[in-house]
Amino acid sequence: MTIVLETRDVSKNYGDVQAVNGVTLAVEEGALFGLLGPNGSGKTTMIRMLTGQTRPTGGSAKVLGIDVTEDPVGIRSRVGIIPEQETPPSFLSAMEYLRFVAAIRKIPDIEKKADWWFDFLDFADKKDVLCKDLSRGTRQKLMFTQAFIHEPALALIDEPLINFDPIMQDLVKDYLAGYVKKGRTIFLSTHILEVAEEICSEFAILHKGTLLHTGTIADLTGRGDHLPSFFLSLVRKDRHV
Amino acid sequence: MFELLHAMMKEEWRIHSTMFGSISFALFPVMIFGIAFMGAFLVPLMQSALPAGNLALTLHSSYLMLGIMVGGFGLLGNEVMNRRFGQASLLAYSARSLPLTAQHIFATFVVKDTIYYFFLWVFPFGIGYLAASPFTGTPLTGGLLLLLTLTLAFLSGLCTIFFLSTIWARSRLLFWLLLLLGTAAASLVVVAGTNPALLFPPLALYRTFSWDSLVATGVVLVLLFVVAIALFSPEPVGSEKRHRDLYLPLLQRLRALPDPALAAKDIVDLYRSGGLVGQMIFSFFLPLLVIWFFLSLLSPAFPPHGLLLMFAIVTGVVASTMYTWVTMFDSFGPYACLPVSVSRLISAKLTMFALLQVLPALFIAGAAILSGETAYLVPAVVLGLAISFYAVAVMAWLAGLSPNVLVYDVKVLFLNMVLTGVAIIAMTALAFAEPYAALGSVLLLIPAWFFVQKAKTRWDAVDPAGF
Repeated sequence: MTIVLETRDVSKNYGDVQAVNGVTLAVEEGALFGLLGPNGSGKTTMIRMLTGQTRPTGGSAKVLGIDVTEDPVGIRSRVGIIPEQETPPSFLSAMEYLRFVAAIRKIPDIEKKADWWFDFLDFADKKDVLCKDLSRGTRQKLMFTQAFIHEPALALIDEPLINFDPIMQDLVKDYLAGYVKKGRTIFLSTHILEVAEEICSEFAILHKGTLLHTGTIADLTGRGDHLPSFFLSLVRKDRHV
Repeated sequence: MFELLHAMMKEEWRIHSTMFGSISFALFPVMIFGIAFMGAFLVPLMQSALPAGNLALTLHSSYLMLGIMVGGFGLLGNEVMNRRFGQASLLAYSARSLPLTAQHIFATFVVKDTIYYFFLWVFPFGIGYLAASPFTGTPLTGGLLLLLTLTLAFLSGLCTIFFLSTIWARSRLLFWLLLLLGTAAASLVVVAGTNPALLFPPLALYRTFSWDSLVATGVVLVLLFVVAIALFSPEPVGSEKRHRDLYLPLLQRLRALPDPALAAKDIVDLYRSGGLVGQMIFSFFLPLLVIWFFLSLLSPAFPPHGLLLMFAIVTGVVASTMYTWVTMFDSFGPYACLPVSVSRLISAKLTMFALLQVLPALFIAGAAILSGETAYLVPAVVLGLAISFYAVAVMAWLAGLSPNVLVYDVKVLFLNMVLTGVAIIAMTALAFAEPYAALGSVLLLIPAWFFVQKAKTRWDAVDPAGF
C-alpha cells in the first residue's frame, strides 16, 4: 500500500505553548483516517501543518510525497481541504465562489459539477445568495463542496459535520464512505466519536498535542471495545497522569 | 454604559496588542510624544520659513484629517472586522446577543473611538509640545490652548464623518445635497474675500480664544454626534437576496491581467461591500479636496507651479492608501484551503491597486487643468503616480496583507515614515527646482520593484497571521 501522508516527530510551538509534540503518523492510500482528540488537543494544528498553512517547529511531514515546508502550495493544489473555522468570501454568491475556486484550481465544467453538488447537498435555491447571508449549515455545505468538487486524491477535513442537521450528516457520512471505496483517502479530524467509529477505518488519538494511540477500528471492535469508551478511558488516564 | 465602554476599550487595545505585542503598541503614543517634543524645537525655524499662522493651519488641518480617517475606519462595518480578524466577533456588532439597542452600542462605540484615539494620537502630541515649552520659551497657556484646539479639530473630523456616513446610509440624495450646500457656502465665503480657514472653529479659537466660541464649537460637535447616533441604522442581517453573477463576466473581461481569478474577486468585493464608493468619497476625494484647500492657502510659500506639484505628491501619498481598500476585506484565511501563496495574493492586490491608480491620475490631471497649469499636467501625474507606487511597495514590504492593522506597530510606522519621507523630500526638492525634473520620479519605480520582490519573499516565509 502507498503511504499518502506521513509525519515524523512533527511538533508545533506557539511561543511557550506546545500545540503538537513529536507526532509520528502514516496514512495509507484508500484509508478513512480519523484524528481524534478533545478540544485543544492539537487536531486543527496538525491539519494546518499538513496543508502548509503553518510550518512545523520540529520534525517533518510529507503529503502525497511533498514536504509540507518545501511546497505548501503544491500540496494545496492536489488535496481538498475543509478548514474548521473559515467561511467562504462574504461578497461572492455560492455559485460565484465555486467559479472562483474553479478558476484557481483550473477545474473544467464547473457549471455542471456545481449543479450536481447543489442538488446533492440540497442547496440549489441558495446558489445566488451572498455567502455572508447564508446560514452556517449552508456555508458548511459550500465549504464541503469546494473541498471535493475537484475529486482530490486526498482530502483533509476538519470537523466537516459540525453544522449539519442529522439528515445531512447521514448523507455526508455515506458520501465519505463511498469516496474512499474509489481508492481515495480522507484524513478526518473530529471529536464526534460516534461518527468516527461509524465511518473511519483507522484512527489516532491526540491529547494535549501528544499522540496517545493509533490503530484500526476493526481491531478495536474485534476485541469487543467501542471507540467512545476506549477514547474516554485513554484520555482520562492521560489527564490523571 | 460604563461596563460596555470599558469592555470596548479593552477589546480595541487587545486587537492592536495581539497583532504586534503590547510593548510595541504601547510605544506608539510615546513616539507621537517624541515627534511633538522634538518638533517643538523646530517651530521657530519653521515659522521663519512659513508665513505667519500657516504652521497652526497645517497642524489643525492634519488633526481634522486624522479625525476623518479614524471615523471612517470605525464605520467600515462588521464585514471588515470579520474578514480582517477571521472569526473575531466585536462588541460593536453584538446588538443581537446583548440586551442593548443598536443605538446604545453605537453611541458607546463613538465614545470609545473618541477617547481611545484621543489618547493614542492627540494627547501625546499635545503633551509633547507642552513638555518642550519650558525649553522653547512657549507660554504654558499656548501649549494648553493648542492641546484643546487640536482635540477640537480631531473631534470635528470624527463627528463630521460619523454624521455624513449616517446621512449617506439613510439618503444618498440628502448626502449630496449637504455636500453641495457646504461647497457653495465655502465658495461664497471665498468670493466675499474672507479667509475661509478662519471659519474652521478650532483654528479660529486658537487664534483668538473666547469662552463663547468654545461653547458654540462644543454645541455644534455634540449636535453632530447626537444626530449621527439618532439616525444610525444597523446593517440588515439574514436577507437572502439573490444576486446576478458578476464574477464570470469580470473573469472573462480581465483575462489580460496576470491573475484574473483573484482580480475579479477583489472587484466584486469592492463593489458589493460598498467599499469602493465609500472609500472613494471618504478616503480619497473628500480628504484631497480638504488638502487642496489647505495647500492653496499655503501657496505663497511655494515656488511657481509648486502648488500643483505639491498636490501631486500629497495625492500620491493618499493614493498609496488604496492598497488598504483592496486588503481590508481579506484575511489569508479564505485562501488557506486553496493553492494560493501569500506572494501571489500580494501580487494580485498590487494589480488591483495599479488599476485603481487611474483615479489619482485623473484627479491630478483635473487639478492641473482647473488651476490653469495644463503645461505641467504630465510631470504632475507622473510624480503623483511614482510616489504612490513607491509608497505602496514600501507598505507591502512592511505590512504584507495587513496594512490597516500594522500601521499601529511603531516599528512599521517609523520605517514607513522614514522610507517614504526620504523619497517625498527628494522629489519635492527636485520638482520645486525644475517642474519638468519631476518626470525623473519614474526612477522611484526601481526601488519600488525591489521592495515588492522583498515583500513577496518576506511574507511567504511567515505563517499567514490569523487573529
